[in-house]
Amino acid sequence: MLKRRRFIIGGLIILAALSYIIYGGMQQAIVYFVTPSELKARENSSADKFLRMGGMVVAGSLQKDLKNLTYRFDLTDGNASFPVFFRGVPPDLFTEGKGAVVEGRIGADGVFQATTIMAKHAEEYSPHLEGKDGYPKSFVPGKELTQQ
Amino acid sequence: MTATLGHTSILLALLVAVWGIISPILGSRSNHQRYSAFTRTAILAQFVLVTLAASSLIYALVTTDFSIRYVAFNTTRATPAYYRVTGLWGALEGSLLLWEWILIIFSGLVAWIYRDRQRETMPWVLMIFSIVSAFFLGVIAFVSNPFETISPVPLDGRGLNPLLEDANMMTHPPLLYTGFVGLTVPYAFAMAALIRGKVDEAWIVATRRWTITAWFFLTAGNLVGAWWSYHVLGWGGYWAWDPVENAAFMPWLPATAFLHSVQVQERRRMLKVWNLSLIIIAFSLTIFGTFLTRSGILSSIHAFSSGPVGSVFLVFLSFVLISSFGLLAFRADLLKGQAELDSMVSRESAFLLNNIVLVSALFTIFLGTIFPLLSEAIAGTQVSVGAPYFNSVTVPLFLLLVFLMGVGPMIAWRRASWDNLRRNFLWPAAASLLAGIALFIWKVRDFLPLLGFTLLAFVVLTIFYDTALALRARRRTAGEGVIRGLVTLARRNQRRYGGLVVHLGVVLVILGIAGSMTYSIEREATMNLKEHLNVGHYLIQFEGLKGSREPTHFRVEGSFRVFHQGDTWGVLSPALKFFPNQQSPVGRAVHRSTISEDLYLILSGFSELDKNQATLKVLVRPLVVWIWIGGFVIALGTLLAILPLGKSSSEAA
Repeated sequence: MLKRRRFIIGGLIILAALSYIIYGGMQQAIVYFVTPSELKARENSSADKFLRMGGMVVAGSLQKDLKNLTYRFDLTDGNASFPVFFRGVPPDLFTEGKGAVVEGRIGADGVFQATTIMAKHAEEYSPHLEGKDGYPKSFVPGKELTQQ
Repeated sequence: MTATLGHTSILLALLVAVWGIISPILGSRSNHQRYSAFTRTAILAQFVLVTLAASSLIYALVTTDFSIRYVAFNTTRATPAYYRVTGLWGALEGSLLLWEWILIIFSGLVAWIYRDRQRETMPWVLMIFSIVSAFFLGVIAFVSNPFETISPVPLDGRGLNPLLEDANMMTHPPLLYTGFVGLTVPYAFAMAALIRGKVDEAWIVATRRWTITAWFFLTAGNLVGAWWSYHVLGWGGYWAWDPVENAAFMPWLPATAFLHSVQVQERRRMLKVWNLSLIIIAFSLTIFGTFLTRSGILSSIHAFSSGPVGSVFLVFLSFVLISSFGLLAFRADLLKGQAELDSMVSRESAFLLNNIVLVSALFTIFLGTIFPLLSEAIAGTQVSVGAPYFNSVTVPLFLLLVFLMGVGPMIAWRRASWDNLRRNFLWPAAASLLAGIALFIWKVRDFLPLLGFTLLAFVVLTIFYDTALALRARRRTAGEGVIRGLVTLARRNQRRYGGLVVHLGVVLVILGIAGSMTYSIEREATMNLKEHLNVGHYLIQFEGLKGSREPTHFRVEGSFRVFHQGDTWGVLSPALKFFPNQQSPVGRAVHRSTISEDLYLILSGFSELDKNQATLKVLVRPLVVWIWIGGFVIALGTLLAILPLGKSSSEAA
C-alpha cells in the first residue's frame, strides 16, 4: 500500500506541475479575437489590450510607404471598418479585398497598431473549401520590424 | 470515361471492403480456413481496385482531363508533368484517395508477408484494415469525390496552389500519410489481439518493425514539413505551432512513447493496458488530425456545417475511440496481474517517466490546439493560443525528455545499483558539467539554453562512453579494433545501437531548434541600388532587380551580393513569383547554410515605378542546418534498427 500511496503522490505532483506550466503559458499567449464592429463598439474598454482582429482589407484603403515600410489600411467585417497601422513587411498574400488578421493594440490616436499581419495561408487550396464567413482559416504570420 | 472508371472502382472496392469485414465474423462461426482466405482476397481485391482508381486520377491529371472538377482545380495546361502527378495530393479529395491507396498498400503487404503465419490472428487484423479502408472508401465515394465531373468543361484549369510547386512539399504529404497509415498496423494487431483475447506480447513482437517504420515516416514527414515551411513559405521559421502542424505532430508523441513502453512490456510484462491505450490514442490522433484540418472548425466553430468531411471524420473518430476502449474494458480481466516496479531508479521507471512526459506534451499541445474551440463553445469568446504558449509549455517537458534520453538506455533494469550508476554516468555527467561551464564562460548566459546544451552534451557523452566501454570489452575478449568492434556490436544488438543512433539524431535536431530559437537575428530594410546593410557578420549589397517569364509564372528577382567577414559569398537572389491565376505573389526565399548558422534572405517587396529599390528581410539563424542533418542521422539509425543485417535482432535491448 505504501507503493500505491507513493504513486498517487507522484501523480499529483506531476499533475500540479503540468497545470502550473499550462496556466503560465496560457497567461502569456491567449489573444482575444474581435471583429471591426465589436472593436468599434467597445473601443474605450479595449485600450491597452493585446487583440487579434480579422476582416477584409477595404479596397482602395491601402496606403503603402515602401521607403519607410509603413502600411495604413482599413479592415472591415461588412458592418464597420477600423483603421490599422503597420510597420514592417506584410506576408506575400496580403492585398486589398482579401482577408487578413492583425494583432496588436489600439494606439492613442485610435488607430489599431498592428505588430503582426497574417494573410490567408494558401495551404487550403480550393475556394469551395473556405469557411462560409469568408475569413481565412490558417495563417502565415508577417512580423513587425523589431530593429532598425 | 476516366471519371466513371475511377468512381466505379471505388464503389466496387467499398463492396469488397464490406465483405472483408463480414467474412472473419462468419468465419469464426464456421469453416475457418475458407473464410480467412476470403479476408485476404478482399484486401488484395481492394488493392487492385484502389490502385486502378488512383491510376485513373493520375492519368486524368497528366492528360489534363478538365471534365473532372478535381483536375480542373489542380492543374493547368502549363503545369509541368511532375507537378501534374503530384496534384494527386494537392487538395482534399485527392489526398484522401492517396491516403486510402497507401493504407491498402500497407494492408496488402501485411496480408502478403503473413500469408503463412499467424493464421488465427490474421483474419481479424485484415478485418480492422478493411474497416478503416471502408471508411475512407465511403468518404471518397459519397462525401468528397475526386471523380466529380464538371460541365461545361473549362478550357484551362485553375492550377495547383503555387506554394505547393516545390519538390519538398511534394514529398511531405506522402511521407506523413505513410507515417499515419503505418500506425494502423500496430493498431490492427492490437485490436485483433483484444478480439481474440490473446493479450500477451505476440502483437507487439509481430509489429515491432512496422511501428519503427511508421515512427520514422512520421518523423520524416514532420521534418520535411518544417523544411518546406523554412525554405518555401518564406517567413524564416520552420515551425509556427499552426493547428495543421500540431495535427501532424501530435500522433508522433504517443507513437514515440509506445516505441519505448513496449520494451518494458516485452522485458517485464508490465504496462499492458497502457500500451494498448497508447496505440489506440496514436491511431485516433491520425483521424483527429484530418478532422481538425479539414473540417474548417479552426477559425470559427460556426464554419462547422460548411464541411461535411469534418463531421464524417468526427463520427468515425468517435466510433474508433468507443469501440477500441470498449474492447479494452471488455478484456480488462485478462489484462490484470502484472509485475510492479521494483525501484524508482531503474530502466522501467526511466521509460515510464519518458512516457509520462510525452503524454503530458501531447496533452498540453492538444489543449492549446482545441482551446479556441472550447472557449467559443463554452464562453462564446473567440480567442487564439499563440506560439508562446506552445513554446513555454513544451520547452521544460522536452528538456526533461533530453535528460531521460541520456539516462534511459544506460540505466539497469529492475533496480540500478550505485555501482551501475557510477559506472555509466559519473564520467559523462562530470564531462557535460564541464561543457556547460565552458559554454557559460564562452557566451551562453541564459538559463534555459545553457541547461539545454548541457543536457544535450550529457546524452551524447553517455552514448559515446557506453560504446567506448563496450568496445574496450570487445578488444579484451576478441581482440577487435574500433571499426571491427563497432560492426560486431551493431550486428549483435541492432535494435539497441539503431536506437542510440536515432537518439544522436534527435540530439542534433534539438540542438538546431534550441540554437535557432535563442540566438536569431532579424533585420528588414528598403535598399537603393548599391546600398549596404550590415547584419551580424554579414554585409549585404543590393545589385538590382531582374524580371523573367517562366512557364507558369512571372518572376522578379533581386540580386544581393553577400560578404561574410570580408570574404565574398557571391550573389544571392531571393525572388517573388507572380502567378496569373493568383492574386498575390509567392516569395522564394534563398538561404546560405553553414554548420554554424544560416543566412536567409527574403525579397519582401520592390518599387514598381523605380526599378532600383527593393525591400529585403534578412535573418541569421544559428545551427538550423543541424535539424536537417539530425533527420538524416535518424534515418540511418532507423535503418540500422530494422534492416535484417545478419544476426537475429530479437534479443531485447
